[in-house]
Amino acid sequence: MPAEEMGKVTDRTRFAFAVSSLIFLAVLAISPFKDYRREWKQYKRSYLRFAQSRPDTKRLTADYSLSIDQIWLPGMNVVDRCTTCHQGITQATLADKSVPQPFRAHAAIPHNVREWGCTVCHRGQGPATEVAEAHESTLAWEQPVLPTHFIQASCGTCHQADLPQTPQLTRGRQLLAELNCQGCHKLPGIERPAMRGPDLSSVGTKVSREWIYKWLKEPRTIVDKDGNVTVNGYETEEEPRMPKFRLTDDELRALSAYLSAQKAKPIPPYKISPAVVAAWSKNPELTSQGELRFRQMFCSTCHSLAVTRAGETKLIGGDIGPELTKVGSKVNPDWLIAWLRDPEGYLPRTRMPRYGWSDEDLYKVTQYIATKLVDFDLLTSVPKLDPPTDAEIQLGRRLFLEKGCASCHSIEGISPQKDFGPDLSALGGKNASELEFGSAKIPHNLVSYIQAKLEDPVSVNPAARMPQYNWNQADLDEVMTALLSLKGAPPTSALQNLVVPKSEATFRPTGSFAEVYERYKCYTCHKFNGYGGELAPDLSYEGSRAQRQWLVEFLKSPQTLRPTLILRMPQLNMSDKDAATLADYLSMVMQHPSVNPAAVEAKQFTAAMAALGKQLYEVKYQCQSCHTIGGTGGYVGPNLNNAGGWLTPAWIEAWLKNPQALVPDTIEPRRNFTEDEVKALTAYLLTLRAGIKPQKTASLHDTRISALGAGR
Amino acid sequence: MKPRLWIAAFLLLAFASVSGCRKHPETAPANSLLSAYDSEPDWTDSTKIIPLGYEQAQGKRIFYQHCVWCHADATPAGPSNRSNLTPNPPLLNDGATLNAASDEYMQNIITLGGSALGKSAMMPPYGRMLSAEEIRSVIAFTRAIAQPPYQALGRPGSQYTAK
Repeated sequence: MPAEEMGKVTDRTRFAFAVSSLIFLAVLAISPFKDYRREWKQYKRSYLRFAQSRPDTKRLTADYSLSIDQIWLPGMNVVDRCTTCHQGITQATLADKSVPQPFRAHAAIPHNVREWGCTVCHRGQGPATEVAEAHESTLAWEQPVLPTHFIQASCGTCHQADLPQTPQLTRGRQLLAELNCQGCHKLPGIERPAMRGPDLSSVGTKVSREWIYKWLKEPRTIVDKDGNVTVNGYETEEEPRMPKFRLTDDELRALSAYLSAQKAKPIPPYKISPAVVAAWSKNPELTSQGELRFRQMFCSTCHSLAVTRAGETKLIGGDIGPELTKVGSKVNPDWLIAWLRDPEGYLPRTRMPRYGWSDEDLYKVTQYIATKLVDFDLLTSVPKLDPPTDAEIQLGRRLFLEKGCASCHSIEGISPQKDFGPDLSALGGKNASELEFGSAKIPHNLVSYIQAKLEDPVSVNPAARMPQYNWNQADLDEVMTALLSLKGAPPTSALQNLVVPKSEATFRPTGSFAEVYERYKCYTCHKFNGYGGELAPDLSYEGSRAQRQWLVEFLKSPQTLRPTLILRMPQLNMSDKDAATLADYLSMVMQHPSVNPAAVEAKQFTAAMAALGKQLYEVKYQCQSCHTIGGTGGYVGPNLNNAGGWLTPAWIEAWLKNPQALVPDTIEPRRNFTEDEVKALTAYLLTLRAGIKPQKTASLHDTRISALGAGR
Repeated sequence: MKPRLWIAAFLLLAFASVSGCRKHPETAPANSLLSAYDSEPDWTDSTKIIPLGYEQAQGKRIFYQHCVWCHADATPAGPSNRSNLTPNPPLLNDGATLNAASDEYMQNIITLGGSALGKSAMMPPYGRMLSAEEIRSVIAFTRAIAQPPYQALGRPGSQYTAK
């Protein structure tokens, strides 16, 4: 190359250098620019501006630095950078709704965010520093943030014992148990109910093949297009437990043939005295008298009936036993008599008490059921069914196992298949990639998956064996919450140590009390030392509370103590001996450790004290706002007309001093009474006496379901 | 190398770097009930559902245990005790009455009872059975269901928004 041309080349080279330097400069600048524009830094600066708009800027920015904040808890697998953007999470002054997210403070929950981090409860990706990656599932990270609506599931992951703060979770767990989901699925922590579906070993003696066919085809529940649940055509709020199986006509014929052939135990013969039949069979009052006895025995405490009120027919009554509106068209009359006389003779572990029956009562009530609680059209839609053939019975037996019937119902000689449904013990922690969505057109995440599976099992998997349940939205949300709480064994020992186990409550009485207790099934409604039902008062401290004589009278002739609570203790027609056995045991054993009924002498209370007590009751403390004495007063607490004949002086004193010490969740307000006021009020209450009046008839129209729905 | 190639390379780089700055797609506005801890139907219009936060939900629980008997017309056990009482206790959602009461006043009357504040002695004191926090949560629930809706006094909503 000639020397004079060197300059030209140099110019071109210089130009190229200049351009490339500029480009490099620009490219180099991109990196700090991008760094400056990072999403989390924008939130950081935004928080600073926000804090400056608040009066307590100094406190709000005390920990501020333009860097990633992180909560690192190695034992719990927590590396949570959420506080990088959620900077006001622990600032009490930022709790108000008007504070824009992500700066708002967390609600004051029992756990501190610094000690627990965020993702332990909310899920999502702790280490992520971008909004989308932290909250949603991406290809690399799969745990989206759990919608707050289901957040109680996170409480349940560690708290296996029920918490008062998480009603949705508690109810979901109850539903899983009630519907016996653990019959087919592995669900740790969900207790099996003592009674699952009824034992069918002798079902052929109880109902006809036609009835079984109809029941299997359309278990009485029907949901209309508005989502209203009806049972036997009547509206109800309760959810019958039998789900709908998708069965073909052949399957229905086979199963009904197999079941109607189940007659393990013949009906024990019993003949109602001919004198009773002769005296009553022609009496026009027979069924109305039967209905009266049905009501007086408070069958509706556990069973519901369709009641027409103001043109609207609804099911009214309890949900412990089955609904009975059409039971007369369902069961064999001889079976009914045998059942009422001895329920456990047909169904071991039933919750139905064994009433004391006279022939007259038995005749009246069974005649009422057989003639009034009927529907002659019940079986018209069932095709003609011939006597079962052996082939049908064999097929039915196979289907009984294949469809999973044996998971809920027992039949002598049939053992259920183990692990019939999938193991759900870690369902709540699954990633979307571990789930089979099939052709379902739903968002690919765990919450949608569980919902679709529950709402319509075949929408996700056309071959699903799971039957169809009818859910209302609240039940569905509750069950989903309980399922989302099941995340399997904790991954670290630190998390394992956080598990709050459930305490097991058992009550095993012995001796003659146990026999009577089992006969009348007291535990179906009452709690004894934490074990038993919730319908009726807890009897764990009944011996400290009630006088023995009152207990005997009450058991013989139950009365309601609460004016608004119409759901009542059944009239069990107890013998004197049984009543005495129960009263003795309750008085002697079921005592509160700090209330000894013998410790407070009734004699010490004078008329002057009682007069002062009356004054305090009526004027200073106005107890009549909740309690009734005579004909006036409030509906909230028990009526006190017979307080002196009912309660022990020791209990009244202890109760007035601190009701919650005796019954932790009682709503009786804890007052600040002086010692003298306690004595005066006790003296006054002890003067209140009224004999137990003869039983009033409960009208079905007034029957209500009690506080079961509280808070829902 | 031709300048055109340089420019093409530059544009490519610029595009690559800018595309890294793309905005993430805005997530659809979440269903307000999905992001609520619990909810309560509007007492005056049952088709409307009011979302509740954690504190309000705890207040709801305590309300349905202790207060519902006299401060609502329907209770879980049937008839309300409200009509038995003179003067009638206000319904808990009665914004016309309760919105005027400050949080401090509400805290006091629940803690100390009606007679301590010159109101009906039929309102019992709850200070010895509910914690201050629990009482605050009941007030938060009251505010959430008030009709007409409650506006915090002297504390207008911030005009500030994030980003």
